[in-house]
Amino acid sequence: MIWRYVIQRLLIAAVQLLALAVLVFFIIRLMPADPVARLVGFNASPEAYAQSQQALGLDRPLLLQFSDFLGLTAGQPGGGLLQGSLGESWESNEPVADELIRSLPVTLELVSLSLLVSLLLAIPIGMYAAARPGGAVDKGAYVWGMFAGSQPDYWWGLLFILVFAFTLGVAPAPLGRHDPLLLPPDPVTGLILVDSVLRGRWDVLVSAFGYLALPVITMVFTVSGAIIKMIRQNTVRALSSDYVMFARACGLPQRTVALYALRTALTPTLTLVAVFFSVLLSAAVTVERVFSLNGVGQYSVRAILNFDYPAIQGAVLAVAFVSLMVYLLVDILHAVLDPRSRSH
Amino acid sequence: MAQTQNGSTEQLMRPAPSPGIGARVLLWFGLSVAASVVFLAMFGPLLAPYDPREATGNVGVPPPSLAEWPGLILASVTGQLDAHPHWFGTDFYGLDVFSRVIAAARTDVTIALGGALLSLALGTSLGLIAGFFRNWATALLVRISDVLQSFPVFITAMVLVALAGRATGNIVLALCLVYTPIFLRLTRAEAMTQARRGYVEAARAAGAGPWYIAWRHVLPNSMVPALVQLSVTIGFAIILTAGLSFVGAGVQPPTPEWGLMISQGAGDLNYGWWWTSVFPGLAISITVFGFAVLGHALEARFR
Repeated sequence: MIWRYVIQRLLIAAVQLLALAVLVFFIIRLMPADPVARLVGFNASPEAYAQSQQALGLDRPLLLQFSDFLGLTAGQPGGGLLQGSLGESWESNEPVADELIRSLPVTLELVSLSLLVSLLLAIPIGMYAAARPGGAVDKGAYVWGMFAGSQPDYWWGLLFILVFAFTLGVAPAPLGRHDPLLLPPDPVTGLILVDSVLRGRWDVLVSAFGYLALPVITMVFTVSGAIIKMIRQNTVRALSSDYVMFARACGLPQRTVALYALRTALTPTLTLVAVFFSVLLSAAVTVERVFSLNGVGQYSVRAILNFDYPAIQGAVLAVAFVSLMVYLLVDILHAVLDPRSRSH
Repeated sequence: MAQTQNGSTEQLMRPAPSPGIGARVLLWFGLSVAASVVFLAMFGPLLAPYDPREATGNVGVPPPSLAEWPGLILASVTGQLDAHPHWFGTDFYGLDVFSRVIAAARTDVTIALGGALLSLALGTSLGLIAGFFRNWATALLVRISDVLQSFPVFITAMVLVALAGRATGNIVLALCLVYTPIFLRLTRAEAMTQARRGYVEAARAAGAGPWYIAWRHVLPNSMVPALVQLSVTIGFAIILTAGLSFVGAGVQPPTPEWGLMISQGAGDLNYGWWWTSVFPGLAISITVFGFAVLGHALEARFR
């Protein structure tokens, strides 16, 4: 039963990704940008221009380019999307997939750690606020959500660097993922925290935690208010439901009733995890820049500014793929916890 | 596209009722911030003591310390000074940071207001049509809007602006495309409820045509959620506009713009020049907070 649901969802996700790939392919080519001029320089001779255009395949008709991209053209080296290839970057001439495999873990690590910390903070605060509506915690959380939820993360990141790294000296300067003097462990998963444990590099692990602290704080700062708000709301809803009233009427102790409400309140919170994962993926673009982390956000900025079409396509697909997978995972968990949602 | 199948996202996204913080205080705070920012957008470049695009000879001058401010203000009001003080210091090129922060209000607010108002107009009209006339064409419209809404906002805006050319008009259009689905969805939901109301039937019985009813009767009654959303959207549009120039995909230097100033000031932190990035960021922070508070106050009042 659950497997049928998973396979069905995976098929839908594949179709969605394909549709997105097609959409992105045509949208970026419909825009009035000239990647060839960007690549050869604006003073290049017409011959050099034509040669570069030919090398990129941009002189061919759009539909032929599209069939190259999908991998439908016969005898094409490397294949296309349907063979699992994202093409080569026009800037570095490296396979886009390889570059993404290097940059994606950086972002995933930052985003999942930020989400985890936010949830650990938000769940107790949100539930406490719901238990005492109108109390000091509730009001504080409301104002906090209103303030921090509407702030530019890139500026707060800089402020945190200014205060914690440059003035107080309690955090390292924003120079990447770990102390630049340490040799990084050989990549296994690409996640620096996991790799340093697997390779027994405790010095790198400690350093990586220090370097992750400020970017994670920046993200938690901007996103936790909204999460608190929604957890509060879910808990309020659960506390006002009939079964809680019934449990209270039966004279069950307050603690038992709260536990009942917790279970119901946490199921919709699962969906929130997916929503906020996408929100944080978007925020990573600016936060990675502030802290010079070479994640997929920085990768997409570079690709877009260089008019590097294969890299843009790859980055957008990678981000969409990650979001879809998180949604899928959350929905599966949801289906396991709450069989009603399977019927949709 | 990244839409959850159990459909509860929208329900979860509904605003929480405010825990009883004076809606009147919030409203006045929000209104006064918004009014000052709009005032700066109109007159800021005229009030700036220095030309925001022209370098002065002073490079990297720190702002006067807080203790000097009262004396300096007094001296500059009575006209005892030969040159205006650099209230917020000067940057790497010798540009006066205070003048640029003030003048940048015009750049940021014009773009954000333009984008938000354009998406309000487009979103409410399309939402009205999609909610009042329900057929395959409007169903398709809603589908397209859902797909648009599921794109990551920042990356979408970056692709559109960078590839279309980093001009003000293109940023406004990108903001419009990104925010229209929100207004469409809000207005459509309200229009669907309103369309079932008695007054619509009465108007129909009186012989009014469907377009007339939609425009004259349903639209005014369906606009409240979108209007409440407008304030919050303006705030987010300012963050997005500044964020685009922060990563280098927005307006071009030397245009006075908050995000661009933060981006250029970020490197100055290494020399201990905090003022080139802190002041423009403070401007964004206060502005956006004002619009967020205004949005919350309106929400508490009208929903």
